[in-house]
Amino acid sequence: MNTNTFSNRPRKQTGIVVTFCLAALLMTYISYELPRLLPGDFVTAMYGSSNVSLTEKQETELKAYYTEKQGFLPYLIRILRLDWGYSYAFLTPVSALFFSALPWTLLLMGTAHIISTILGFTGGVEAAWRHGSRFEKGMVGGMTLLEGIPEICSGVILLVIFALHLQWFPASGAETAYTEMAFFERLVDVGHHLFLPLLTLILAYVPGNFFLTRNSMIMVIKEQFIMTARAKGIPPLKIRYKHAARNALLPVVTRFGLRIAFMITGVLVVERINSYPGLGTLLFNAIQARDLPVIQAVVLASSLIVLAVILGMEYVYRIIDPRIE
Amino acid sequence: MHINLRHYLFHNPLFVSGLLLALIFGAVGLFGPLIAPYDPWDMSFSPISSPSAAHILGVNDGGQDIFSELLFAVRNTMVFGLLSGMAALVMGVLAGAAAGWFGGIIDSLLMRFADILLAIPAVMILILAAALFRPSPATLAIILSGLMWPTIAKAIRAQTLSLKNSLHIKAARQMGGGNFYILIRHLLPELYPLYLIGFTAKARMAMFMEASLAFLGLFDPSRKSLGMMISYSIKFYYMDIWWNWIFPPIICLSCLIMTATFLAISLERALDPRLRETLSGRKA
Repeated sequence: MNTNTFSNRPRKQTGIVVTFCLAALLMTYISYELPRLLPGDFVTAMYGSSNVSLTEKQETELKAYYTEKQGFLPYLIRILRLDWGYSYAFLTPVSALFFSALPWTLLLMGTAHIISTILGFTGGVEAAWRHGSRFEKGMVGGMTLLEGIPEICSGVILLVIFALHLQWFPASGAETAYTEMAFFERLVDVGHHLFLPLLTLILAYVPGNFFLTRNSMIMVIKEQFIMTARAKGIPPLKIRYKHAARNALLPVVTRFGLRIAFMITGVLVVERINSYPGLGTLLFNAIQARDLPVIQAVVLASSLIVLAVILGMEYVYRIIDPRIE
Repeated sequence: MHINLRHYLFHNPLFVSGLLLALIFGAVGLFGPLIAPYDPWDMSFSPISSPSAAHILGVNDGGQDIFSELLFAVRNTMVFGLLSGMAALVMGVLAGAAAGWFGGIIDSLLMRFADILLAIPAVMILILAAALFRPSPATLAIILSGLMWPTIAKAIRAQTLSLKNSLHIKAARQMGGGNFYILIRHLLPELYPLYLIGFTAKARMAMFMEASLAFLGLFDPSRKSLGMMISYSIKFYYMDIWWNWIFPPIICLSCLIMTATFLAISLERALDPRLRETLSGRKA
């Protein structure tokens, strides 16, 4: 097996953990230090241009919160204790806002990520297997076109057609409000609301997985063990998925975690388009209201979650590819 | 090899269509302000009027000519993408070549830093910076490129490592060429295909990022941009404005991103030697 087919294999275990801890610390430090770099009276300036009115006491509290030299370590401990401050725009503790929005984003992003990986992967395997055929050329062309359409565009078009014109799907929300529903009915309702944002994200992320799988599968198919498998008379379907695809899966899994860092942008945009009550909408509303504690918390906490997921994927990779260490 | 490459590229429909689109957008970007029939900030027309001979795409809710707005918006998005892609390329090439050539502690430090940056979602840092400081678009473009360089650096580093032991580099060393001389004179010119791929890929990502940030309302509201036009126009979805107000910025943005995608994918196919023989149908 030539080694440079999979050039981006992870390094030693401790190295990865250290890298991720450093990344998490860096992110936390940026979120701690940035507001402190702002000139003097930014609290007044910031809330002055928003529609939130602060009382005298709240304003001094906020100023104290952002200007006092509390030090990085106490800040870190507060972050870990989920003591993220109080939102004056929503009149709720920031952590409560965050954890009520998080499940929806996880549901949307998780489902979209898994479905688009599976679709892209099977598409890539099938296309590479029929390398040079009309089927493959069509798939490659279609995927290239799809790769060129950003989520903002597909999202708005899908919304305009299916929610506003045809009215097949709801244009906003994650479930129908103020109704008592049985478990199964509720599930259907949530799925109905999820469909449009989910479809938008899947359309945007299938091509990346497709190209990754196809390119590595084309390399794998040429390996000698595939020839051996064919010579032994193993059925093609079994060669494709049991022998070849297992090797083509490796780069897809390595990128599975990293891809999330890129997907975040799309998720924010899609949630805003479909008014889906996840972190993206929370962040958008916070930006509109200039609600600094909420912006800071969403930015920091979601980055840390992404880091944790990427780190977790490194371990999955080790299970799939026993050749490492 | 380079002549074959040019031949291959100009017979590749993907590359040719990407190039054509790029030329069109280049012209729009350069001459947009001259073509624009009105000042895009002029609010003196009757709000939300349908397309007419005077206003090809009609007038928006603020009484501004949509076609003029569109021309300025395309230009802003493009400038952001090109600037950010260029800066990311410079940083990536410098870091990658240094890491690959010098090796040792420089290599491990740079690559560790690159790994850290890759794992952090770029959009989050941009949002934080944009919400706190309201920086200029150029500043945001540079911050973004500071987060995007690692992928370019990794590709450059890998290629530098493999070139490092090639005969002509060894010969240059034997003749007493210094590090700097070899890097500038031999190594960097030879890596040029990677620059094209890296630059188009990063410019694409930056334009996408700019549109998303504008859509989320993180830029100065008076700055014309495609994302902001989309975000304003869908508020009026219930009116008969789909064709003249909602779709034009969407189509322009898709075409812009497609241009970069086509160029990036076709260049990657042409220049990646592993895929090349299989893709062009010739068995080398």
